[in-house]
Amino acid sequence: MKLTPKQRQSIPLIVFVLLLLTIFIFVAVRSGPLAPISVTLSTVESRTISPDLSGVGTVQARYTYKIGPVITGKIASLNVNVGERVEAGQLLGEMDAVDIAQRLQAQEAAIRSSEAVVLQATAKEDYAKSQARRYEQLILTRGTSEETLLSKRQELAIASATLSASISEMARLRAERDALLSQLKNLNLIAFADGLVAARNAEPGSTVTAGQTVIEIIDPDSLWINARFDQHSAEGLAAGLPAEITLRSRQSQTLAGSVLWVEPKADAVTEEMLAKIVFATTPTPLPSIGELAQIRLRLPALAETPTVLNAAIRTLNGQRGVWKLTQDGILFVPVVLGRTDLDGYVQVLEGLQVGDQVVLYSDKTLKADSRIHITESLTGTSR
Amino acid sequence: MAKQGIIIEGLSKQYGYGDTAFLALKNVNMHVAPGEVVGLIGPSGSGKSTLLKCLGAVIDPTAGRMTLGDEVIFDGAWHVKDLRALRRDKIGFVFQAPYLIPFLDVLDNVALLPMLAGVDNTTARKQALELLTALDVQHRASAMPSQLSGGEQQRVAIARGLVNRPPVILADEPTAPLDSVRALAVIRMLNDMAKRFETAVIVVTHDEKIIPTFKRIYHIRDGVTHEEVGEGRSLN
Amino acid sequence: MISLAGRDILHSWGKFIFTGIGLGLLIGVTLIMAGVYRGMVDDGRVLLDNSGADLWVVQKDTLGPYAESSSLPDDWWRSFASLPGVMGASNVTYLTMQVKKGERDVRAMVVGIAQDGPTAAGWPPQLVAGRHITRSHYEAVADVASGFVLGDELKIRRNFYKVVGLTRRMVSSGGDPMIFIPLKDAQEAQFLKDNDAILMQRRRTEENPIFNRPNVPGLLEAVIESQIVNHSVNAVLVRIKPGYSAEEIATSVRRWNRLTVYTRQQMEQILIGKLIATSARQIAMFLVILAVVSAAIVAFIIYTLTMDKIREIAVLKLIGTRNWTISWMILQQALVLGCLGFVVGKITATFAAPYFPKYVLLMPFDSVIGFFAVVVICILSSIVAIRMALKVDPAEAIGG
Repeated sequence: MKLTPKQRQSIPLIVFVLLLLTIFIFVAVRSGPLAPISVTLSTVESRTISPDLSGVGTVQARYTYKIGPVITGKIASLNVNVGERVEAGQLLGEMDAVDIAQRLQAQEAAIRSSEAVVLQATAKEDYAKSQARRYEQLILTRGTSEETLLSKRQELAIASATLSASISEMARLRAERDALLSQLKNLNLIAFADGLVAARNAEPGSTVTAGQTVIEIIDPDSLWINARFDQHSAEGLAAGLPAEITLRSRQSQTLAGSVLWVEPKADAVTEEMLAKIVFATTPTPLPSIGELAQIRLRLPALAETPTVLNAAIRTLNGQRGVWKLTQDGILFVPVVLGRTDLDGYVQVLEGLQVGDQVVLYSDKTLKADSRIHITESLTGTSR
Repeated sequence: MAKQGIIIEGLSKQYGYGDTAFLALKNVNMHVAPGEVVGLIGPSGSGKSTLLKCLGAVIDPTAGRMTLGDEVIFDGAWHVKDLRALRRDKIGFVFQAPYLIPFLDVLDNVALLPMLAGVDNTTARKQALELLTALDVQHRASAMPSQLSGGEQQRVAIARGLVNRPPVILADEPTAPLDSVRALAVIRMLNDMAKRFETAVIVVTHDEKIIPTFKRIYHIRDGVTHEEVGEGRSLN
Repeated sequence: MISLAGRDILHSWGKFIFTGIGLGLLIGVTLIMAGVYRGMVDDGRVLLDNSGADLWVVQKDTLGPYAESSSLPDDWWRSFASLPGVMGASNVTYLTMQVKKGERDVRAMVVGIAQDGPTAAGWPPQLVAGRHITRSHYEAVADVASGFVLGDELKIRRNFYKVVGLTRRMVSSGGDPMIFIPLKDAQEAQFLKDNDAILMQRRRTEENPIFNRPNVPGLLEAVIESQIVNHSVNAVLVRIKPGYSAEEIATSVRRWNRLTVYTRQQMEQILIGKLIATSARQIAMFLVILAVVSAAIVAFIIYTLTMDKIREIAVLKLIGTRNWTISWMILQQALVLGCLGFVVGKITATFAAPYFPKYVLLMPFDSVIGFFAVVVICILSSIVAIRMALKVDPAEAIGG
């Protein structure tokens, strides 16, 4: 077809107009609220899942000995520093005796005085005894009166009693002295068991009250982790489960361990179950008390069931379910879910079969009459 | 039917009222026979533009009588209701400048007039082509006005003026921008067209090159005309 | 009869297209401004929709949790969960803060969601990549608007969170992207101060003789411990079973507990009526001004185009063209210009909208209104030009 020059001249204009109209129609139909919702699909697969548990905890020592004085006093000396290992019975430090030495002296003096009193009383009793014997014999020969015999006998009784009293008094004083001595012993801070010095809370020269902790000793082999598991996702928590421990200060290492026991009392306020996790072997270097750790408990794998990623689970009118792809579009299918693992796979106990295709990701909230556009991925390259 | 050309009797035009009244035309009488080309010569301010405007039904005369073709168009008042249709059908205009529509090609510039009169496009274009051929510019029919030379544009303008076969052509300084060869060519063409289509032509001009070609001349001064016999020099 | 308007356009189509595109850009800007306004209002709506809640329970006499800060004990949700008609009640915290990744930090709204599972209130209703949070600590789901991708390590306060899922269009009412983390971590982030502040506070507590009593060992530790523990949330989101009235349940909660409860409509009023009202009004005013200016420019352009042709119009009139034909030519050109401008404008607006930092919502309704507005403006402005054209004296074509 031969075109006139005028027609030829108008070709670029026509091309431009057609191009513009095409883009316009494309824009009107494909963008904005009229556009179909982009979704990606996923196939329901039969899979075994291990419903592992995840929790956090802090490293604690199972046995912590808080060594301190039983009476208020000043610290005289401390022999150990934080980080040192100590043995049972080791002298860790001494409290200032203050007036105990003087009191012991006084006590010793009192004991000696009482010993003298005992001697005196013994002598008196001996004399009274011999007097009483003599008069016993005298009474036989009518050399004395009954009355005199009786009074001599009474003197003997008195003297015996006085002796007993003074002996008891001496015993009492001796016991008080022993008490002071044992107090003196308690001025020594002794390690109760083998362990590691974890804290030195006061320095020599400071005054501490009775019961205040001066030295804390922990048993390094008894380190465990006080772990907390959210109650929602703690099904299957039991003693003996193998654990993977990641200390916050050593993120690249995973240490092995196991659950020692599950605390019978859960935390009602924070809604967490508590458990104690122990290390399989004590890690070196020793983790610090109070350090945070992340725990992963490996549970045995469950039987194969249809599973789906948790991103596919939606709600419609209060029901939990998934959007299944059917010939006519999408249909909301309520499902009954089972356990879930830490990678997001959830067991579908009812509602779906292996091979069903469900909507996994979508741009917007889906409704029963939404038009969909199936793509490979909803996120292109990120900006 | 015999056409009577242009007959103007006692035409007057007054501008303003009372003290500021000014008579541009005073009792003008003119007649042009069909096929005749007359000149209208006068200095500026003499009223020749006014006369043309009255004839062209562009302004209203104050008094007098105008007959165009076989129809009295004005007798104290307009006898014709639709002046636009009158201009379109009965009067052809040729100006100093071609005044072609720049966005229409040459053929459509000329064909526009019959189309405005209601003629269908094909017939209108056929008529236009006839005129263009008569004026020897048919080979430029599909060009745009800007692509034509001055002389070619003027010929197209003349073709446009003639395409509706009006009984009258009013030409206002049609040769002013042209050199003597082209000017004479234009006048020759006007004469040929006039004879061929029996059109009465008035040419307003003061171009010395073409004045000698008129057989009859009207001089106008201060609104008054008087007739003269021209040289009538041959154009061949 | 040939189309004079068509011929004129064909003859100088370059000028026409150029003018049309210029007009189109102006119209496009106006459409985008309308989209910005709608986007702002939609930000508020989408926040409420995505939370999945029917009722918001907040601290008494506050407008929280979005418009005002609100604090509730975190165990009160149990009293709502057992009310008849309530399908579920979940704690939630909201905190707008800077979230770091490497050197970059991003302003985001950190949402603490209760560990009830993907369909609990507060959880994102759908994802565009990855998965929902499965661990009770140190995992996050982020909105793509934050610029984070799967696998990124985010630093929120003193903890690191791994991005395991992505969402789209989960934003706060201010347009900040949302980042979902487990509730306990969020509670710690919201109420736990940074290390420096904690040290300062510890020191001050130690120096206070009331807390640091020598004969009460353990008192100081207990006090310091209580200072860094937080058991508060910003709101409880309540879901209602189908068939029950939100207002009834709201009333019963209000009566029994000393709390404030908002239904969806009330929250919308607060968000859109109070929170974004000023900004929205600002944009709306600017939109009006822009529309008026656009209208004026369109009118001016059409008038100028006509004035360019005044000589041709005079000649047309002289050779006997009817007024109607001339008017129709001008009107046609104005309408073509308007349509061209609108098409260009709509296309420009659609392609430019995603590049704006906040959401731009272009609704078909706005485009339709815009189209009719453009047509009306073109008609009105061509009327002015037509009047100008018709007043032209054909006698001017005939020289003096």
